[in-house]
Amino acid sequence: MFKKWSIVAIVAVLAALVVTSCKPQVQTVVVTVPGEKVVVTATPAPVGRPSSKDPTTYVVATFGEPETLDPALAYETAGGEILQNIYETLIFYNKGNVNEFIPQLATEWTISEDGKTYTFTIRKGVKFHEGGDLTPEDVAYSFQRGLLQGGTHSPQWLLSEPFFGVGVDDIAIVVEVAQQLGVEAIQDGISGEELAAAPGELYDNTEAMKAVDPAILKGVCEAVKARIVADDAAGTVTFHLNQPWGPFLATIAQTWGSAMDKEWVIEKGGWDGSCDTWANYYGMASENDPFTPIANGTGPFKLDHWTPGQEIVLVRNENYWRTEPAWEGGPAGPAKLERVVIKKVDEWGTRFAMFQAGDADWVAVNRQDVGQVDPLVGEKCVWNSEKIAFDCEVVGDGPFRLYIGFPTISRTDVFFNFSINVPEGGNPFVGSGKLDGNGIPSDFFSDLHIRRAFNYCFDWDTFIQDALVGEGVQSTGLTLPGMIGYDPQGPHYSYDPEKCAEEFKLADVDKDGIPAGEDGDDVWNVGFRMQLAYNTGNVTRQTVAEILASNLSQVNDKFQVEIVGLPWPTFLRNQRARTLPLFISGWLEDIHDPHNWYVPYLTGTYGRRQSLPAEAVAEFQELINKGVMETDPAKRDAIYKELNQKVYDLTPHIILAVATGRRYEQRWVQGWYYNPIYPGQYFYALSEK
Amino acid sequence: MTTYIIRRLLLLPFLLFGVTVIIFGMLQFLSPVERSALYVREIPHTEGAVEGIIKRYGLDKPIYVQYWYWLVGRIDPVTGGRVGGILRGDLGYSRVGSQPVAKLIAQRFPATAELALWAVVPIIGVGIWLGVQSAVRHNRFFDQVARVFSIVGWSFPTFVFGLLVLMIFYARLRWFPPGRLSDWASAIVNSGQFHQYTHMYTIDALLNLRFDIFWDALKHLILPVMTLSYLNWALLLRVTRSSMLEVLGQDYVRTARAKGLPERLVINRHARPNALIPVVTLAGLMVAGLLGGVVITETVFNYPGIGSAAAQAAIQLDVVTVLGFALFNGTILILANLIVDILYAVIDPRVRLE
Repeated sequence: MFKKWSIVAIVAVLAALVVTSCKPQVQTVVVTVPGEKVVVTATPAPVGRPSSKDPTTYVVATFGEPETLDPALAYETAGGEILQNIYETLIFYNKGNVNEFIPQLATEWTISEDGKTYTFTIRKGVKFHEGGDLTPEDVAYSFQRGLLQGGTHSPQWLLSEPFFGVGVDDIAIVVEVAQQLGVEAIQDGISGEELAAAPGELYDNTEAMKAVDPAILKGVCEAVKARIVADDAAGTVTFHLNQPWGPFLATIAQTWGSAMDKEWVIEKGGWDGSCDTWANYYGMASENDPFTPIANGTGPFKLDHWTPGQEIVLVRNENYWRTEPAWEGGPAGPAKLERVVIKKVDEWGTRFAMFQAGDADWVAVNRQDVGQVDPLVGEKCVWNSEKIAFDCEVVGDGPFRLYIGFPTISRTDVFFNFSINVPEGGNPFVGSGKLDGNGIPSDFFSDLHIRRAFNYCFDWDTFIQDALVGEGVQSTGLTLPGMIGYDPQGPHYSYDPEKCAEEFKLADVDKDGIPAGEDGDDVWNVGFRMQLAYNTGNVTRQTVAEILASNLSQVNDKFQVEIVGLPWPTFLRNQRARTLPLFISGWLEDIHDPHNWYVPYLTGTYGRRQSLPAEAVAEFQELINKGVMETDPAKRDAIYKELNQKVYDLTPHIILAVATGRRYEQRWVQGWYYNPIYPGQYFYALSEK
Repeated sequence: MTTYIIRRLLLLPFLLFGVTVIIFGMLQFLSPVERSALYVREIPHTEGAVEGIIKRYGLDKPIYVQYWYWLVGRIDPVTGGRVGGILRGDLGYSRVGSQPVAKLIAQRFPATAELALWAVVPIIGVGIWLGVQSAVRHNRFFDQVARVFSIVGWSFPTFVFGLLVLMIFYARLRWFPPGRLSDWASAIVNSGQFHQYTHMYTIDALLNLRFDIFWDALKHLILPVMTLSYLNWALLLRVTRSSMLEVLGQDYVRTARAKGLPERLVINRHARPNALIPVVTLAGLMVAGLLGGVVITETVFNYPGIGSAAAQAAIQLDVVTVLGFALFNGTILILANLIVDILYAVIDPRVRLE
């Protein structure tokens, strides 16, 4: 009896202590159960959302760092994020809508009947951070400078195509055509045949560019200036495109369409705007570029300082021009945040600790680390694709808010190499290089049935489960879901080991006219051995390779696929040398338009590396050109669907899956919305409680 | 002794030459495309991109030509001016650090020096103290405990221990944050009102009479210093302990005791100075090591020192940056060795530097 009462007494004292020491909203309930058992249940009421230590400063902890802050050169997301907050473009996205544009530095625009002339009226009274006034000449100069500065590591190929012709991916090509066929040849743009005349030797070759005949250089520069014309009196800038260009608005809404202050650029050592000097600036690399560490835009934030390897600090532009919200409920006036600090924190454990301590408002979380953060989520916002918005609910007391399920704009795929290069000394990836069970011949993947078999042997569900932690959807076409021409029911492959075996039996790798299933010395009976490479550290690529290797060996134990992880430099070398039988690579779109997917996959970057058959490429090219020049969405849709069928018929890839995204932030962060094409966060819209 | 010092200093350029030749020599094993990987972060859009990079940076030139460029610089095709050339005092541009290598080192070194400055006292002071006490209490309880304690520290992987203390003292208790300064302090330090004399924030804060910033900077140093100390004590303890034990068994110690000297004097005045001679070498190298940067500690605590920058450069094959750091580290190591040698001559009359 004594024991029982003493326990109750102790519990009561403890409970009193807890009640007095805890915050008022925490309730403690003492329950005495008959017998000798005493249970104490503390049921804290939902704790009020903690508030930010410093609501004026938004702290980001991430691992990437910009390569440059020159809008004409920056072509990665870390730089893009900073630029989008400092510089501004003529038009901007309507909040999260990537296909709807609203005026920004332009107040309005008109598009000519033939779709080739765009005229923008430039906003008056806008000032650059360092005091200069924004003029139409500044805008035109910024575009001219970008095109002429060019360089294959810059985003300028996205602009040189609409201005000079499909396939013209750098100003170097324009110069080469002018060299071959005369300056007159480029006045009306560059056709496919003219393009073929360019040897591509001037790409990034700064020495050779300076040595080009000054008359040609001048002619090219004048051609650029004729296409981008400022009229200061009328307050307009006019773009004369080479052909109608469906994604033109989408192209100039990105950071490479930023307006710079011409006087400031010249003062800081940039191009003086003269057609006699531009070649000195061609192919600028970030280390020689005076605009790599500095910035002067018109945007809501100014660059305070950048300490490479440590932090980038932005401060609010107190004189920001925007007085009316750009969209309903959108921000207006100076930003709510006074400072934004982007810290480079490479180590995940450290980032996570900063997040837990409340010292970071947003941290970069890799997919493999989500399990650590999820238990601390107190509010979960799930993407609702019908509403194109998030449905949020409180799920606990955790300090973080999780946004989940929103579509992303990149994808990893598998590319077949139709003609594997076997240099002298052999190629370890193809084994013996022969169809002898110990290797593969260099034209192994030129057999359609082999490509189809590999597709049927790929298990999308496992891939989505293992590589994307269950958060992804199989792609049924080259482009992204929701894009013009994308059909969720379109022709596509799915995992089917039996069909995989069937296709292998239909193949005719030794080209004797007898299908492999009935041919004793073909692939089904002899088997093959090859190596699949990925760059070390890329878990997604590794998972893809593992799935293929395991499924192929289950279909036929004579199919041996070895997986090798290569350091990035070695991977890059083999990729270039075209020694990889198939390679796993990714694409992150530059602009939200199907053209930005079809070109690299079929005729550009990847298509060329795969050595796709010339006649197929020609067919693709024709449809791609038709599609991009078509401004009627319905007609464009039909063209792309036809293209999708042709791609399926050729099967040059295994098209994998688009992951859905996650974002974690502190619950005191307010105002974030999802726009897939933003390179990073648009801090202007954010605030803290 | 002066001749000795001069001779050693004259040797310095040759040693550095050797180090850089070896690094360049190893490059021979990489193809130009592999070396261009530094400039190409993803598979490039255009076909000619990698060739352009190779041409621009002369990556296809023979290795001795590239070495020559690095020594005397080369004409930059874009600007027409001569760039690089360590003999011209230009260490080149660091792609990884997004700034010239010299600037990168100048920016990172004060952080490393500050960490070393604060770490030296606990590492060496406590390490030696532990070693002496262990030897004096040979095989007794203190000795056993100290040895176990330090060997546990020695066996701990740095990143495990670092993340552990970070989780406890930062994520949970919120006492000691990572980085170098809090955001409010960083804003003041980067503003015009705060004069940065040494770029070591604890010292600058005192010179500016900003004790709040001093305290903030110190708070950021505690965890890395703690990690470095705990992980390094074992080595010093063991060397000091065994050396001390050896000395304690010497005849002159027995004589001192026989004279009736108090034990404290025997140990502090007679035994310890002699036992410290081998410890000086170790401590000297440890200080040089700290000044050369501590990669994992810096990474875990997001402390922007030399080590993490050098590691990043090496991982991304940023040869120019790696060479810059190699030169810098080589110089520090050689100078540290020189100082150790001089200290030897000072503390041990038997040593003559000739």
